[in-house]
Amino acid sequence: MRIRAENELCVVSSMCVYRVPAVFDQDDEGRVVILDEHPPAELGEDIRRAVRGCPVGAISIEEPEEPEEAD
Amino acid sequence: MTTTPSTDTSPSVVDYPFPWTPPMAIPDGWKTLREQAVQPIRLPSGDPAVLVTRYHDVKALYSDHRLSRNTGRHPTSRISPNNVIFDDPEVDSDPPRYLAERRLVAKAFSARRMESLRPFVWEVARELMTAMQEGPQPADLMESFAFPLPIRVICKLLGVPAEDQAKFRRMVDGFLSVTSLPADEVERCRTGLWSYLGELVEAKRATPTDDLTSELVQISDADPERLSDHQMVHWLQSLLIAGYVTTATQIGCSLAYLLHRSEVTDQIRNDYSLVPSAVEELLRYQIMGASLGSLRYCLEDIELSDGSIVPKGATVLLSVEANLDEQQFKCPMDLDIRRNPNYHLSFGSGIHYCAGAPLARMELQVATEGLLRKFPQLKLDLPGEQLQRDVGSFLGGFSEIPVRW
Repeated sequence: MRIRAENELCVVSSMCVYRVPAVFDQDDEGRVVILDEHPPAELGEDIRRAVRGCPVGAISIEEPEEPEEAD
Repeated sequence: MTTTPSTDTSPSVVDYPFPWTPPMAIPDGWKTLREQAVQPIRLPSGDPAVLVTRYHDVKALYSDHRLSRNTGRHPTSRISPNNVIFDDPEVDSDPPRYLAERRLVAKAFSARRMESLRPFVWEVARELMTAMQEGPQPADLMESFAFPLPIRVICKLLGVPAEDQAKFRRMVDGFLSVTSLPADEVERCRTGLWSYLGELVEAKRATPTDDLTSELVQISDADPERLSDHQMVHWLQSLLIAGYVTTATQIGCSLAYLLHRSEVTDQIRNDYSLVPSAVEELLRYQIMGASLGSLRYCLEDIELSDGSIVPKGATVLLSVEANLDEQQFKCPMDLDIRRNPNYHLSFGSGIHYCAGAPLARMELQVATEGLLRKFPQLKLDLPGEQLQRDVGSFLGGFSEIPVRW
């Protein structure tokens, strides 16, 4: 999976940061920053909850149709 | 459980908000509200509006630009017969302007800023609890703790002298009056609050300090197009009011309900890691604000998920009672302090999502854990059903919560 953020939509609810601090952070303006675009699968459920809990839909998950090759 | 599909029979108009009687039970009206996707209501002013009732519609409409937040610029129904409350036609509360201004203040509530503030919130909480312990019993939880905690915190953030609370609290109560005060008193409070905050801005302009007000003054002075003095005072007014009245009311509602349900309190005392989810569940369940804060004006017909129409020109409230929608929450009428995830709508959703939500959450966590730890025998001094809910104000919290320990 790949995590994306639309920084300009962010309204600084901070919900994602509290839910998954290993993946989400905030810049000086409080807007969402992705720390880990390809987080480990075991964080999947927490990340999905963070995505659902975002009040403005600023974060999303792209689930690859096929497994991605490692870099 | 299945929901009744909507029919052609128009629901009759009901008075809104529904009264909290008895004070600890979920009002009957809330339980059947979602049988209709759109419920016609009569506001306290007597003006008509429609309440969008179902969770998924409410959530979607919070992000729908066909609903304008510029209620003061449209022929919107009034909440109060004698008080415009938050309506200010000089302030643009729709995007893009709203978003640009919101960015200037929202950063002050980021997770990192809140965490750096947490020790201060604990320090204030401890100080208040020590004073409570040394004082007489019963104590009023609202005045000895629920109000002073968020007041001290928002005052620090905004750079407002906390000792001015004697001055601003009365004016804020008047500002939020729906039917509790006469028109001339409301006007006196509104004018007084506006000049008080105007003077604060001038004081920070003369002598900047390390707080949000001074930061906003600096931004405004550098570029008044970005933030005029009027807009700045409007924001400060909203931040001050939302910063303590809502939090204090929720601390009161949450704690009163917890103490009323001592078996739930015992679960938390046995495992304090439950505090964050308990706080969220009490936010979902003890809805203090009805939906008056969601007032919007409908710019175009909007079709809801079941085909119902919210008509152009309608005044719309987005129902926070959707927190009890069984389509979204399992056993919604049960208080389940382990409920997780809990996507309640008590802070709204979309671009107007409560800017102070991270602060409110943190304060509620400190208040709940602090009080239960400090006072292992904390209890209500009278049966919960005898507590009085505020009537005629914007929020429906408890006016007084007598406690012993």
